[in-house]
Amino acid sequence: MVNEERLSHMIKIARFDTYDDKTCKPMAQYARRDYVSLQMLKSFITGSLVYALIFGMWCLYYMQSLMEELNNINLQESAMTLGISYAVWIVVYEAVTYIIYQLRYTRGRRKIKSYYASLKKVNQMYEREEKLKIPEEKAWDS
Amino acid sequence: MTSLLELREKLIRFYGKNEVLIKPIIKFIVSFAIFFTINKYIGYMSRISKISVVLILSLISAVMPAGIMIFLAAAVILANLFALSLEVCIVALVLFLLIFLLYFRFAPKSEYDMCLMPLCFQMGIPQVMPLAMGLVRGVYSVFSIICGTVLYFFLQGVYQNAATLGAASEVGEDTASKIVVLINQLLGNKEMYLVLGIFFVTVLIVYLIRRMSIENAWTIAIISGTLFEAIGLTAGYILMEIQGKIILTLIGSGISCLIAFLLQFLFFNLDYSRTERLQFEDDEYYYYVKAVPKAIVSKTEKKVKRFTGKEEHLTKKQFAEELDIDEELLD
Repeated sequence: MVNEERLSHMIKIARFDTYDDKTCKPMAQYARRDYVSLQMLKSFITGSLVYALIFGMWCLYYMQSLMEELNNINLQESAMTLGISYAVWIVVYEAVTYIIYQLRYTRGRRKIKSYYASLKKVNQMYEREEKLKIPEEKAWDS
Repeated sequence: MTSLLELREKLIRFYGKNEVLIKPIIKFIVSFAIFFTINKYIGYMSRISKISVVLILSLISAVMPAGIMIFLAAAVILANLFALSLEVCIVALVLFLLIFLLYFRFAPKSEYDMCLMPLCFQMGIPQVMPLAMGLVRGVYSVFSIICGTVLYFFLQGVYQNAATLGAASEVGEDTASKIVVLINQLLGNKEMYLVLGIFFVTVLIVYLIRRMSIENAWTIAIISGTLFEAIGLTAGYILMEIQGKIILTLIGSGISCLIAFLLQFLFFNLDYSRTERLQFEDDEYYYYVKAVPKAIVSKTEKKVKRFTGKEEHLTKKQFAEELDIDEELLD
């Protein structure tokens, strides 16, 4: 006979496995700090790419004037401006990443917690059923 | 009102039962509209601008995840722009990469929101998107509105300047000048900034009012959002001296308001949880679970009470029987 209580927990487990497992898996594997750090590292790479793309477009846009002023450009000053703007951009981008993934981690951990609670309950039910089975078998054996 | 609620109920049940069929059909219609619009306005590559190609791409998008549709749409746009001019294609590629890196990294599941924005612009009802996003999504949907709007104005610029951009060019100065023209028409487009600003605020207004614990929050949110959009855009167009857009804006706002009320009717206080199909097993059984969302309002039990002249003249006995009391108590 189907155990309805166990079934409801198993449905919860299967739902998590189907829909949330992929997104929540890293949250179960990593501690909060490590998870957010990993995302910030990814953001550092994507943020740098974004900056490079925008800088590339800026160069193409001002190509003509850049070519004309090439000999008069103060390289040290330009490098400084570039460095500062890059640093500001990365700090902002990383801050946004930090906030978003902190919130996601909190939400994901909550789901994982309820997933493990369901697993625990199903396990307990199995154990109880096993215990109930043993005396019956013994009685039958004797 | 009850009949409307019943209709809504029937729709939800129908969707719940036939979600496997309805979802791909909706995806097909949306994809077809997107690919058709792309080819209609910027179909510079004749090989992929055929209706058969549009149908095949729409069919693929209907059965594949939304990400595939976005990828195909981006590929079709890039191919068409490549046929027009390499420089335009490069700028478009950079724009797509920026959108991908900045937005889809954080919101991978909102591909359709961004795609629908240019489509609504083309249909003359862009105002519906900020209202819809504010009603059924969160504040983060502001970014899909921004990305979709920028993409629309970029493609519109390409469409309007196709003759200049498509002219044969010599490598060197002409290449740079084409890119300058393209970026100038995007960054120097005052209308785009106006639309971005108005839509940004509208999403916030609609979202914040909708979340308030007041009566008729959704209705107030829709009306406030529509009024803000209509007045803001009209005032902006007058100030910027942009001709011929005011009447279209007002008509678009009216239609958008009606669509927003339709959304309210369909989504207000309702969880369109999908029919879920799960498979798992234990030691004894294999389980194939189909979880269908529960209906909320049951069919109305119609009770019609007629007060006719005949029934007014009840005898004491009949009346006592009806009330199930002793006849003497009525004396």
